[in-house]
Amino acid sequence: MIDLIGGVPLFVLEFGDELVYFTPYTITLFLLALTFTLLVLISRPERQIDIAFGSDAYRAKEISVSEMRFRRFMAIACGLATMGAMVTGDIFNFTLFTAMVGITNVGIVAAVKSKHVQDAAYQYGLVALAATVPLFAGAAIYAAVTGSLSMIELMKGTVPAVPLIAKGMLVLGVIGEGMAPFYAAKAEMFRAPGAPYVIMCSLSSLLIFLRVVEIVMLG
Amino acid sequence: MWGQYSYGILVVMVAGVIAFYALARERDDLHKLLLLDLVEIVALGIIALLGTDLAEALILPGLTVGIAELLALSQIYCTKEGIRDRPVRGLNIEVIAKADAPLILSIFLVAYGMVLSGFTGGGVAGLGLVFLFISRTYREDLNLLEMASGISWALWIFAFFIFMFLPQYWFVALMGAAIGILLKVTVKMSLVGTMWGEQHD
Repeated sequence: MIDLIGGVPLFVLEFGDELVYFTPYTITLFLLALTFTLLVLISRPERQIDIAFGSDAYRAKEISVSEMRFRRFMAIACGLATMGAMVTGDIFNFTLFTAMVGITNVGIVAAVKSKHVQDAAYQYGLVALAATVPLFAGAAIYAAVTGSLSMIELMKGTVPAVPLIAKGMLVLGVIGEGMAPFYAAKAEMFRAPGAPYVIMCSLSSLLIFLRVVEIVMLG
Repeated sequence: MWGQYSYGILVVMVAGVIAFYALARERDDLHKLLLLDLVEIVALGIIALLGTDLAEALILPGLTVGIAELLALSQIYCTKEGIRDRPVRGLNIEVIAKADAPLILSIFLVAYGMVLSGFTGGGVAGLGLVFLFISRTYREDLNLLEMASGISWALWIFAFFIFMFLPQYWFVALMGAAIGILLKVTVKMSLVGTMWGEQHD
């Protein structure tokens, strides 16, 4: 128990299949996601301004209210999915929340009426869709080897050791869903106007990557 | 048992490698999406190999997530390619629209769905109705169907309350839940069939 990266769980809630626990590590990540979701909820979106190079001319991009409303909804959904992924103690629930982060990340920029942003979002969506294969496969191998999906059981160390391939697949899936360490791949998406919402793409993928590090160290 | 699982997972891995190889060679955006849908099935295969009740419970959310991503991506594809105002008015195949075959097939599927009952039965029966609706261009009053869906959902929930508070009547609850979910899934799927190609107004 000493070498757990997340520390000893402070609080464990077992409600049927649903398992939620907080460690000092996950509570930090959870609070970060919560704070940012609240920020998205209350903040007013930016107005992006293009400046013509070499002159004083500039123009502000007009964005419709309905588009902004949709993107705010997607950003909040993304925040909720991220919070779920931070607190859940069940491997399969974690993969589902991660997949939802992937969908909402695409959704945040999908409403933007700009060709290059939509192209980028589509290609990123393809990667996210492909990443569900190793993600779910990793969780299934976890269940096949240990007979349980509970992270608390994994922590106890009484179940058989999880094979490296299952851990690798889980990490690969999370990388694909969130593109966590490869932000350059999402650069075109970040060019979409609407500051607080777009940052949610980046933050959520960072958080799910940090969480999967903890999960992989458990078994 | 372990041997069977290992062989199964080997077959699935080979299928996955073939699918991803095809994906790496494909250049067309739409074809990539279709190939990815095939790859999704491979992932479900790995879960299904567990062969337990748990696996069955895990496949359903996995499938739902896959379909949700597929719908979102196809919507983006339509927007980015500027595909609009192209409603699909049923299956425009003369043979299907005129002959009795869709009716007979639908009756068979609905009857088989009733026998299966539960979620699977609802899926099969709903598929029969979807097939009937898209082969004939019906104009139905959707409100009635929506109401039926809502009521059967309430029946399902009510059956769960019986499970919780009056466990000695479990058989009634089981039947109620089975019929409720059968009706709900059937109606939901037939709604998908009738809303096919309708304009959003």
